[in-house]
Formats: sequence, C-alpha cells, structure tokens
Amino acid sequence: MYRILQTLLITLCLLVSAHVTGLRAADDLGALVSALGTAKLAELDDRIAALAKSGDPRVIPVLEALGEGNLYARKADGGVFLTTEMGASLVLVDPLDGAQLGEVPKGELQKIKVNNAVRRAVRSALGGLTLFSADAGARLKAAQSMRQTPSADALEAIETALAAEKDVTVRKTLDEARAVTLLVSDRSDDDKRAAIKLLAEGGGREALGALSSALSSADASLKPDIEAALQRIEQAQAFWNAGQNVWYGLSLGSVLLLAAIGLAITFGVMGIINMAHGEMVMLGAYTTFLVQDVIRGSYPALFDWSLAIALPLAFLVTGVIGLAIERSVIRFLYGRPLETLLATWGISLILQQSVRSIFGPTNREVGNPSWMAGAFELGGLTITWNRLWIIVFALAVFAALLFLLKRTSMGLRMRAVTQNRRMASSMGIRTPWVDALTFALGSGIAGMAGVALSQIDNVSPNLGQGYIIDSFMVVVFGGVGNLWGTLVGAFSLGILNKFLEPYAGAVLGKILVLVLIILFIQKKPRGLFALKGRAVEA
Amino acid sequence: MITSFLLKSLDRSIVVVVAILLGLAIAIPALNLLTAPDHPLHVPTFLVSLFGKYLTYALLALALDLVWGFCGILSLGHAAFFALGGYAMGMYLMRQIGVRGSYGNPLLPDFMVFLNWKELPWFWQGFDMFWFAALMVVLVPGLLAFVFGWFAFRSRVNGVYLSIITQAMTYALLLAFFRNDMGFGGNNGLTDFKDILGFNIQADGTRAALFAASALTLALCLVLTTAIVRSKYGKVLVAVRDAESRTRFLGYRVEHIKLFAFTVSAMMAGIAGALYVPQVGIINPGEFEPGNSIEVVIWTAVGGRGTLIGPIVGAILVNGGKSIFTAAFPEFWLFALGGLFVFVTLFLPKGVVGTASAYLARRKAHRRAADAENARDNLVAEPMAAE
Amino acid sequence: MIPQATVKRNEASLRRTEREGFNQMNIKARVTGALLATVLSTTAFNGAFAADDTIKVGILHSLSGTMAISETTLKDAMLMLIDEQNKKGGLLGKKLEAVVVDPASDWPLFAEKARELVSVDKVSAVFGCWTSVSRKSVLPVFEELNSILFYPVQYEGEESQRNVFYTGAAPNQQAVPAVDYLMENESVERWVLAGTDYVYPRTTNKILEAYLISKGVKPEDIMINYTPFGHSDWQTIVSDIKKFGSAGKKTAVVSTINGDANVPFYKELANQGVKAEDIPVVAFSVGEEELAGLDTSPLVGHLAAWNYFQSVDTPTNAEFIKTWKAYTKNDKRVTNDPMEAHYIGFNMWLKAVEKAGTTDTDAVLDAMIGVSVPNLSGGYSTMMPNHHITKPVLIGEIQSDGQFETVWETPGLVVGDEWSDYLPDSKDLIADWRAPMSCGNFNVATGKCGGKGS
Repeated sequence: MYRILQTLLITLCLLVSAHVTGLRAADDLGALVSALGTAKLAELDDRIAALAKSGDPRVIPVLEALGEGNLYARKADGGVFLTTEMGASLVLVDPLDGAQLGEVPKGELQKIKVNNAVRRAVRSALGGLTLFSADAGARLKAAQSMRQTPSADALEAIETALAAEKDVTVRKTLDEARAVTLLVSDRSDDDKRAAIKLLAEGGGREALGALSSALSSADASLKPDIEAALQRIEQAQAFWNAGQNVWYGLSLGSVLLLAAIGLAITFGVMGIINMAHGEMVMLGAYTTFLVQDVIRGSYPALFDWSLAIALPLAFLVTGVIGLAIERSVIRFLYGRPLETLLATWGISLILQQSVRSIFGPTNREVGNPSWMAGAFELGGLTITWNRLWIIVFALAVFAALLFLLKRTSMGLRMRAVTQNRRMASSMGIRTPWVDALTFALGSGIAGMAGVALSQIDNVSPNLGQGYIIDSFMVVVFGGVGNLWGTLVGAFSLGILNKFLEPYAGAVLGKILVLVLIILFIQKKPRGLFALKGRAVEA
Repeated sequence: MITSFLLKSLDRSIVVVVAILLGLAIAIPALNLLTAPDHPLHVPTFLVSLFGKYLTYALLALALDLVWGFCGILSLGHAAFFALGGYAMGMYLMRQIGVRGSYGNPLLPDFMVFLNWKELPWFWQGFDMFWFAALMVVLVPGLLAFVFGWFAFRSRVNGVYLSIITQAMTYALLLAFFRNDMGFGGNNGLTDFKDILGFNIQADGTRAALFAASALTLALCLVLTTAIVRSKYGKVLVAVRDAESRTRFLGYRVEHIKLFAFTVSAMMAGIAGALYVPQVGIINPGEFEPGNSIEVVIWTAVGGRGTLIGPIVGAILVNGGKSIFTAAFPEFWLFALGGLFVFVTLFLPKGVVGTASAYLARRKAHRRAADAENARDNLVAEPMAAE
Repeated sequence: MIPQATVKRNEASLRRTEREGFNQMNIKARVTGALLATVLSTTAFNGAFAADDTIKVGILHSLSGTMAISETTLKDAMLMLIDEQNKKGGLLGKKLEAVVVDPASDWPLFAEKARELVSVDKVSAVFGCWTSVSRKSVLPVFEELNSILFYPVQYEGEESQRNVFYTGAAPNQQAVPAVDYLMENESVERWVLAGTDYVYPRTTNKILEAYLISKGVKPEDIMINYTPFGHSDWQTIVSDIKKFGSAGKKTAVVSTINGDANVPFYKELANQGVKAEDIPVVAFSVGEEELAGLDTSPLVGHLAAWNYFQSVDTPTNAEFIKTWKAYTKNDKRVTNDPMEAHYIGFNMWLKAVEKAGTTDTDAVLDAMIGVSVPNLSGGYSTMMPNHHITKPVLIGEIQSDGQFETVWETPGLVVGDEWSDYLPDSKDLIADWRAPMSCGNFNVATGKCGGKGS
C-alpha cells in the first residue's frame, strides 16, 4: 500500500504534465484499467496501485466504481466498463471518457469482485488522488482516510496540502493526519512530541488508537509522553462516556415514550388493558413499509418524504382499525377492565396472524431516508441522526397530545367522559362517540409510533410483542392516567437502563430495572404521578 | 373432619367432577396398559401424556381461580410459579441422569460440562433426593409468592398495578433464567430426562402413573380449594374481592387474607409445574413468558371465573382446541384461538361453566315455578273433583 | 385428471389446483383424525390412516410465534421439494405426502407434535426444528419412538444422536474457518465475540476463544458480550465495540447474534459509521433472509460464513432458485443456507430409502451413512458415520443488493466435527453410528462408549 502513497509527489508532477502526454497516457491508462478486469482478488492491490501511480484524475471515477462494485468486465473481450443498473440490464459507460455505450444484459458482463482489502486499497488510493481536489468535501474525506491509515511516505504530501489548505475543518483533520503520520515516520523526537501534544489536545478515539499503536514501537524517551497523552485522552473520554450514556438513555427513553404514549390513552385514560396496542405499532410500521414500497416502485424521487407521507397514513389506518375494534368489541366491555384484557389479547393474535398471512412472516425492508442516516460528532459524543429525530418526534407527539387533551373541546370531552361517564352524559356529551374517538386516537398514535420505530427495529409480525410489556411498565411506573407521568417514566427508565448496562450488562441491567419497578410500586402504589381525588377510586 | 366436610358442603357438581377425575385416573391408564394396541378402546401413550399435560394446566388454572375468582387478585405471573415448580422437578430429573449424559460426568449435567463448570453450584445441592426436590416444588414458589405478596399487599398495591408488577416479576425471571450464567441451562433449559424414582420416564407404565398422579392431585386440590372457599375464611376472601375497604373497616387483616390465598395458589401452581415437566420432557425459560400467564387467565375466563370447575374445563377446552387446530389448520389456528377469546368475553362473560350453570339454574327456577303452578292448579282442581 | 403434457401452458395453475386439492383433502382427513384422537381418544383409526398408498413426511417448523420468521420458509422449501419429487414419480413407486404441523415456537409443543407426527401420523421421517432447544426437546421422542429427524440449521455441536441427521454446519464448518479467514486476509488481532445469550453462541464462543488463544491471541484482546433475545437497543454495545477497536490493532467482530436482533444491530452499526473496511463483522446467523429486511448499502463488506449462498454460480443452484421462485410465485424470494441443508437432507433420505428399499427406520439409518448427493454449491455432500455431512465453507461479503459475494472458500469439503477439539471435555470423544461401534460419544482415551466414562 505504501507504494500508492509513494506516488503522491509524482502525482503532482504528473498532474502538471498530464495534458502534454495525454494521448500516450490514455493508451497506458486504458491498458491499466483493462488489467483490472483480469486480475484475481489478491492481485487487485497492485493494479490499483499502478492506476493510482498514473495520477490521472480520470482514474478517480474508475476507482470509485470499483470500490462500490459498479465496475464490470465484458465476458466476450475483457473490456472494462463503469455501469449503472437499469432493470435487468446494465448501462455501460466508458471508464475514461465517460461516454455512454448503451445497455447490455447482465449475463454478458462479469462483475469485478472486490473485498474489504481491495476497498481499503481503493480508499487510500483515492485519498492520495483527491487530497488536492477542488472540492472541500473530497479533500476532507481524503484527509480522514490518511488519518485512519497513516503511512510515513505520505507525510510530505500532507504537509504540502496543509500549506495550501484554507478550509478550517479540512485543516484540522489534516493537522491530525499529519500528527498521526509523523508518529510513524522517522522525524525527530521533538517533532513527535509536538505531534503527541496536538493529538492529546484533539482527543477522540482515532487519536487514542494512533497513540496506543505508536506506544509499542516508540523510543523509550517518548513513551512517558505518549502514556501521559493517553491518560489525558482517556480521562476526557470517561467524561464524555457519562454524557454518551445520558444520550443513549434519552434515546431509549424516547423509544419507550413512543411505544407507551398510545397506551397512555387507551390504558391510562380509558382503563382498557389493551393487549393489542403492540399490534397497532406494528401496523403503523407496515404502513411505512407499504408507502416505501409504492415509492420505490413508482416515485423514487420522493423517498426522502416517505416518512412524512407514512405518518398521516399510519395514523388513519390504525385509527380506523382502532375505531372498528372499539365499535365491534370494546364498547360492550366498559366497566369490565379485566375482560378487555382477554378480548384485546384475542384481537392481537388475530392481527398478528393476519399480517403474517398477508405480508409473510419474514422481516420487511424499511429504509432510512437520507436525513435520518449516519451520525455527527458533538464534542466527544456520537449522535446518530435517526435517534435525534426520534427524540424530537416523540416530544412533538407528546406535546400535540397534551395540547389536544388540555386545550381543545374534544380533549375536554374525552377527559369528562373518562372521569365521570354518567355526569358527562347528562351534560349532553355523546359518550359512545367520545369513547370511540378516544380509542381511535390512542390507536392512531400507536400507529405513528410504529412509523418511527420502523426506522430502528425489525418490521415483522412480532414487532409489537417486543414493546407491549415495556409500554405497560412505563405507563404504570409513571402513573396511570397521567401523561406527564408517562413522559417522566419513559425517560427515567431509559436513562436508568443505560447507566446500568455498562456495569451489569444488557440482561442483568434489564432485570435490575424490572426489580426496581416492582420495589418502586411498593413505595408508590399508584405510580410516579398518582392521580388524586375522586377519579382514583373509579 | 374431612369426611364431615365432604358430606356437608361439597355440592353435587364438585362431587361429580372429582368422581370423573378419579375415574379417569383409573380408566385411562388401564385402557392404555391393559388393552392391545388394535383394541377399539385402546388409548395410545401419546394421548396419555397429552391428557396428563392438560390436567396439569387445569391445576394451574384452578390455582389461579383461587386468587382471581375468589380474591380478585388478577395475577399475570402465575406461570412463574408453575415454571419454578417445574424447574425444581427438572433439577431432580437432571441429577438422576448421572453418568448417562453425553459426557458421562456423574455429578454435573451436560450443559455445565460444556460450559466448563467445575463444580455443582450450591443451589443444585440436594436435588438428587426426591423428597428434597418435592419439598422445593412447593417451597420455592410458595416463598416467592409469600415475599412478593407480603410487600405488595402490605403496600396495598392492587388492581392493574398488581397485575402489571406480577407481569414484571415473571418477565424478570424469564430474563434471569435465560442467562446461562444462572446455572439453569439457559435457553435450552433442562431436558433429556431418563428416569424418575427409578422408573424409566419413557416407559408406558411411568407415563400412565404420571397421568394418574396428575388426575389424583387435581382432584385433591379441587377438594382442598373447595374446602377453602366454603370455609369461614373463604367467605372473608369473597368479601375482600367484592369490597376490600369495607372488609378492612370491619376489622379483618385484608393483607393476611390475600397473602394466604396467594401463597397457597402459588404452591398449587408449583405442584402443577412439577407434574408437567416429566410428562412433556422439558422445562425451559419460555415457560416464564408473560404471554403464558395471560393464557392461564384466558383458560380460567373461558371456563368460568370463580366456579372452580370452570378453570378445569377451560384449560382442557382451550388446550385441546390448540392441539387439534395446530395440526389441522397450522396456518390459521391463531385466528380460531383469537376469535374464541373475543367470542367468550363478548357472549359468555361468565365462561362456559358459568353460563351453563346459570342456564340450568334458570331452567330449574322455571320448572319450580311451573311445578308450583301445577300444584296450585291441582289444589284448585281437587276440591272441584271432590264436589 | 388431465394429462400434464397436454396442458403445458397451464402447468403452473394445474400444479396449484393439484396442491390445493391435495391440501384440502389432507386438512379434512387431519381434522377428522385429530378430532377422533382427542375427543374419542380411542379407536383403531391408526390402522385406518396408515394407508399404504403414500409415504408420509413430517414437517415440524414453527408457523407462528417468534421463530415463524425463519422457519416458515423451511416449511415452504420442504413442500416444494416434496412436490418436485412427486412430479418425478415419488419414492418406491408411491407418492410422498407432507404432514405439516405448527409447534408455534413453543418448545414443549415441539415434543408433543413430534410424538403426534410419529405415532399418530406414522410419518417415515421428520424434517424440522430450528433452535437448539427445539431439537433438544424432540430428541428423546425420536429416540423413544425410533424415527428419523433431519435438522437443517448450523448449531453448537456437542451432540450426535442415533436418530438425528445434522445437515447444518457444526462449529468447525463455519466459525473456525471464518476466524482463520479474518486472521489471514485481514490480519485481525483483536476480537469481539458478540452473541445472544443462549447455547449456540456460548459454545461457539468458547470454542473460538480456545482456538484464538491457541493461535497466540492474548486474552485481553478478546472481548465477549452477550445480549438477550430480541435485543433492540444496540447503542451502548456498538459504541463499546468502537471503543474496543480504537486500541491501535486491527479489530473484528464475530457475531453469533440470533435472527431478530440482527436488524437493529446492523442498523446501529451503519448509523454509527462502523465500516467493514475498519471493523468487519462476520456473522454466523445472518443469511439472505435476514438481510431481506434491511437496506444493505451501508453494510457492504461485512461478512458471513455459510456453506451456501444464493449467489453461488452453479447450474444446480440456478435451477433450484428458479423452481423456488416459481413455487412461491414471488421472484423476490431469496434462498438461504438452511434451505440448502434441507435440500441435501431430503435428497439423502430419498437415496437411502431407495437403497434400503423400505422406509423402515433401522434400515434407513444404516443406509444413510455414506450416501452422497449433489449440494447446491457444485460439489457432493456425504453423510458421515457421525451423522454430520461434508460441506464446503464459504465466506461472503454483503453486497448492496442484499446478496453475498463469495470472497473465499475452503479448497475442499470439511467434515462436520460433532465433538469439538477445542473444548477440554469433548476433545477425546467421537461418534460413529456404524456397527459395531454404534456410539454417539465414544471416548478414544478410555476406549468406552458413554462420555468421559469415569
């Protein structure tokens, strides 16, 4: 691999003279590219190095395609092409001049196989080639890849790039890349000390990795410096770890909140022990799947909007199903809460098996829209976008629900009916309809939660089963009938769980949380925020 | 005392059920062992074990009925007591394997050998003796129920809160028993039993004996619960169910009353589990699953809550249905099962037995009314004839 | 019946009606049978139902409950194989008849249903089970009633039973070669062994730990982590893996995480940016079926070790996939390793029955050993005396289309090793079910059958 980086300086020279020898280079390059087609996996490394050595910017798309698995060789003559997929056939593109060469059935082409080693080679070759790219993003990527796989030969190239770099972020990464690279080079100890200092200040896992690998090979005189730096970074990491645990706890809490919030209505407010709640969540997730399926088939451009489209649909679908369940079964069971348990358990079995019959028992694919994929760094925290959005979404749903219940006339009626049915009825409220709508609302919210949970969990007929017990725990822990209790309950259980997990392990942590809930209920038999007054005994 | 009780207060239907159970305890093993396989009345061994399993389920449902039907405690964790009793029996059966395990280790069960356990954990000591295991079958669930109930009833946790924490209890036990580090065989549980009290567990005779034991135990527990329910204590129990605060104000220690019923019920569930394990040949943490406990509630409800006979009928009906439907309509049986639950809650709120006895009672009342009318007619008619 | 040749156009629809008719008949017969069995609980209907015009094959896979997600596919695969065989004229001049039951992911129910299949339905062989516990639950039943079970899933080994044929991989046919690959090709020095807390990961990790230490890996370079079934919040563990991987040594994750928990695990890996080039994850329980529920583009390059991939380029495999897609009427249905195991097991059974000339258990058990049938990866698999089969080991990388691409394979076939050489208590044990040894746990050190024999 070092040969690739060795070529960086030559690359620079070649860039200047490329147009002079363009014609000859094209021939050579063509041969080099074709050579990829005949190479065995083990030989690809060398061929990639040779390509990178050419320093020609036209190599970049070829290498990118190779890394992504879009480079194919024609079985007939061994010609190598970039491809894009078009149904059952592939559109061929000339690797060097980018000319479209028409469609060919897949059978006529052979994919050039790559593995992780090849992808790594491609990554570092691209790093060398794009270090001087005009695009800051590409330069950042290059700098990151050099930071990840330091090689002493690249040092001068990095320094050249650093001198010319204006962009702050890229500069910072390049600085770190230089420091990491310096540690493996044969520069003076003073230079290395400065590098260690810089890494210690920057902190982070990559610095930790670079320093600890340098520790084994460093001079005796440098070892104390490295050890001190390591200690410093680890201390900082320990601080961030606590923060990270809080974040994970919040994120788990938001999932619990989403799962439980619909139940806080159907169980908490209405008193129905709704065992079919989990299935409503599952139906919401399947709605998302259906929406994405239609979008994938017909309107691929809308994919990023799929969740926004799925949300109201899931609310409607599960709301209507909830309405149907209430009208057909539950309305006969008011005042007999324990019997709702049996009936809704039966309904949940039926719903599960229906979904299994319609969609099959296997997982269905629900994709992340681009704005929910990946992560960003905040200080020492890694924050994934999907978790962030789920927290935001959970809080938004909570706020909307609270508003609905406390600030609208519909909410007033709902509260009136659930607190004193006969009185509400004498005041002229049509209690049957309010019951039906409340149950539909709870179900609809569960469906919306399903849209969010489809982003982090399996979409399978068993989806709901995984959440039902946790949801009941949250509602009971927080206090039945109190939305704020559900909020606080969800987040405190989430954070507690995540703080216990590193010490006790995932399983024992969960057991401890359950035991704590049991003990807590002894202390406060009506949950965290118990309802006071007359509603209690009803 | 028992005879006088039996004569006095067992009502006819209980006597009938006990008689049927005793009859089954003799008839089924006899038909299995004494008739030739092609005899028209032969009961295959497969069915003996299957019916034996139903009877242990029936015992579990009966145990639940004692607390739910008569004391109003809806326990969603009764399967935990059942499973604990099962584990105690399973540990005894494991110790009986001895050198016949795959690794031929005389002391350690196979799963401990291949996870490199060097010695038997302390909680496995003593389980090589049947009397000790039998004691643990009732003691462990009883103790858990006692401690759990002691705290819960004293803090006056009731209603759904109690239901949910019993569910938390069984869920926590489920997770705990799944852990291989616990020393109970993890997810695989305890299996591949060889013999019980020296008899080969796969022999037809042993299976028949286990069936008879299940039927007898069920009959005995039915008599016992009836005795409890019909006693003075039983009246207070029902009072607690119907008006807890009022009973408390009358000076009864409600928490003690509940605790007694809960503990007895848990012990019965433990015995059911212990009879279940040798007949199905495996005990595994899956038995702790919250869903299982909910199913027990459903058997009880289907049969009729608070009727004592109802839970037995319900457990046999639902599980019999499950056995038939999982084989006959493997793809659709869940629809049937789910539909059944909805149907029963909507149309038979008192359960099969409750509805049936209500119907019988109404018919009896009708007949009595009719009889009375006839009698009056006769009274009126007689003087006429005399004239 | 209409002669098949004349309605070639309508072959598919014909097949459908044939099958439906067949099923309906079957259901009806079974309802009556089960009702008779359970309600009347008597009678000699056994004789009446053991009609001699078909050979019955039991299928014991969960169609509901948590395992339905994996096992339903295997039920379909078996029905297809039986269907195909019947088109070729059945077996010993008789048609094959599938008997499907649903053990509902409930382990005691597995034992009950196995007993029902063998003693009530009189099936000649049973294909079924997925989890280790379901297999352990039915083992005594097959032993007692002397019938045959084909078990198609990779498992932890440490078992060889007279009535069971293990067509899935033993640890040496999957885990050990995968670790070898990572050591040689990716020069991995630090290992995370992450698994679900049950017996398969526990045993596999024990074997791998012993193996790695024997290869000179230091104990502090091995991290072992267990999670419960269906674990869905992987944030902490993925971040621990990243932390463990930042010690300056090349790190890899060996995952024995079970089915359902994999999707959230991979989603978390993708989102936290764990790339295969940096920290590759090699999995033993993730196949095409599991990946079907995922967007795999961020996961390209993560690995799996199996004995078969759908992407294997052989004519038999192409034919198999074609038949499968036609049978399920869904051209997106994927095939996977346990399906291949059933394919091999079923063909072995056919061959052994033909060889023995009867479906009688003892004769078939004898005839099975040494039977060799083509597998789907272009070679032949043979049933060994220890009731395990020979298989090639393939290492594949996940591609963006949800398929695997083979990047390495063993030069020859690997014999399944039931008693691992890396566990102290099992290294002296072997299994050989040929006469005169006929023993599943023969101790070569003491020369006796029956484990360590103390």
